[in-house]
Amino acid sequence: MLLEIKDIHVHYGKIAALKGISVEVNQGEIVTLIGANGAGKTTTLKTISGLRGLTSGSIVFDGQDISKMPGHKRVMAGLGQAPEGRGIFPGMTVHDNLLMGAYTRSGDFGAELAEAYELFPRLAERRNQAAGTMSGGEQQMLAIGRALMAKPKVLLLDEPSMGLAPLLVQQIFDIIEEINRRGVTVLLVEQNAQQALKLAHRAYVLETGRVVKSAPAAQLLDDPDVQAAYLGGGLGHDAPAEEPAADAPPADRPPADEA
Amino acid sequence: MNDKQTSVAGFRRRLGHAGDVMHDRWQQAPGWQRWIVYLLLIVAALLLPSETIGSFMSPDTDWATILFFPIGTYVLLAIGLNVVVGQAGLLDLGFVAFYAVGGYAMALLGTRMGWNFWVIMVAGIAICALAGVTLGAPTLRLRGDYLAIVTLGFGEIIRITARNTDEIGGPNGIRGIPHPPSFEGITIGDVEIFKYGVLDPRPYYYLLVALAVVVIILVKRWEKSRVGRSWAAIREDEDAAEVMGVPTFRFKMLAFAIGASIGGAMGVLWAAKSISINPNDFQFLLSATILAAVVMGGAGNLPGVMLGAFIVAWLPERFRGLQEYRMLIFGAVLVALMIFRPEGLLPSRQRKAELKEGSGGMGTLGAEVPGPESHGEEVASK
Repeated sequence: MLLEIKDIHVHYGKIAALKGISVEVNQGEIVTLIGANGAGKTTTLKTISGLRGLTSGSIVFDGQDISKMPGHKRVMAGLGQAPEGRGIFPGMTVHDNLLMGAYTRSGDFGAELAEAYELFPRLAERRNQAAGTMSGGEQQMLAIGRALMAKPKVLLLDEPSMGLAPLLVQQIFDIIEEINRRGVTVLLVEQNAQQALKLAHRAYVLETGRVVKSAPAAQLLDDPDVQAAYLGGGLGHDAPAEEPAADAPPADRPPADEA
Repeated sequence: MNDKQTSVAGFRRRLGHAGDVMHDRWQQAPGWQRWIVYLLLIVAALLLPSETIGSFMSPDTDWATILFFPIGTYVLLAIGLNVVVGQAGLLDLGFVAFYAVGGYAMALLGTRMGWNFWVIMVAGIAICALAGVTLGAPTLRLRGDYLAIVTLGFGEIIRITARNTDEIGGPNGIRGIPHPPSFEGITIGDVEIFKYGVLDPRPYYYLLVALAVVVIILVKRWEKSRVGRSWAAIREDEDAAEVMGVPTFRFKMLAFAIGASIGGAMGVLWAAKSISINPNDFQFLLSATILAAVVMGGAGNLPGVMLGAFIVAWLPERFRGLQEYRMLIFGAVLVALMIFRPEGLLPSRQRKAELKEGSGGMGTLGAEVPGPESHGEEVASK
């Protein structure tokens, strides 16, 4: 197991944001965390990358307990993150942003630069433009490309589809798949559950700071609860409560056995 | 109303364009041309205290005196504050504290221990760097406006502590501070440039120019190094910087320490000239004025910051003849600047892009709204 999160609790002041989340990510997988706003997805990711302290629990990465390791050292250990929203450096050029991604590395990283530009030809076109003047989709591409510059073992992606047009979302997800094919393990946090579940191997469903379901992604795609809550089958979060019939006769539906 | 707005926007655009053209030419100029410009600037700075210039620049006060204080002092303090605010993007409202620590270091070590000015300069810089780290260690976990409030408090604590501590003179301060050691007989024109007495402010001014040149060279080198890039990353997005592997806490401390050292060095020099200091020399207003100079000049861009400090220091002196109205004019100029050049007189290009994007450390000047995510324990940034 490459990354193991064991029963972590995180508090903002006195408010518990995460109430015991456990997630496992194996080498070569794409694992996704889905859930509504405020479920604790982003907090989980921030805790893994070291931007948040945890109250209890532990994070084991590559056989090493990194729970108390400062964030900048986790990058060197092999955790790369594309932060939420526009987590790029707006005043720097695209090229300088990518070079910042290689901050912890010394020596030649021409190969990684070339790879980033190859994955995202758009970035090559905008190489000398200030990153803050680019569109949301381009900024997201830059955030992913920059995270790859550090040659991470695990890539943490925080809502890469946020605020993007559907066509762009598809494009970004295709690229994530390609990155995974090239050997990078991906932990993806998404609100766009449909897309995320199609892409990922396994998925965890988060609700108010807890994992309420974990299963192979394809299985969750057919799960009536998940469909009702996140895939447009109901009216969002509390839909199952309004339609108790939805989860009462699960036997009516064929179990998702293809996963 | 609409017409007026477009004409303002047009004016701003033309100004900005002219700036870009100048900037490009400067970037492409070969090294020797730049060195000539640097040398000319230093020579100009040395010729500045002449009577001919003074009669226009300050008809009401002695030009050479105000060149040292406030103008030169503000310029150097602004360079120091610019490291903290402009480069690392940390809003510091108590910068005067370090100036005070430097001043008191000179006064105490000079009068009680009888140390030499140059020794005190080194000791004062070290003490101020330590003071910067002492302030930074507990407070740099805070961000934006929280940090601003704590630094504001620190500035006041230093002043009030000085006023209430009788051992260091209490409200009366300290008198009889020694001048720097003189080397008499070396004259250029009619000035004995190394004779540090009471009457002639010009030798002190030359000393200040020398200090400024050293500081500018150091600051410029830091800015272009890995340190400068780390600061820029922290300023633009601290979380992103951390997940890129930048030890953000350490670099923020470094910015505080360097800024404090520069402020402290100026404090030592200023105290050595002024014979006596007291706590009222280190009011909050001074912190605010220096910050205004940095923001108005173009935070993050050294020439801009120096120009801003010059204007902020010089304008009220220039219009001293108007008596009470001079502050009115000063205020009107500040307001006009914020309308026509909200990004500052000479902003750096990177800074402009950050402001446009609306993020970027001081892009919001610390006025970011704190959500549940923007405070609390920051174990990671240790």
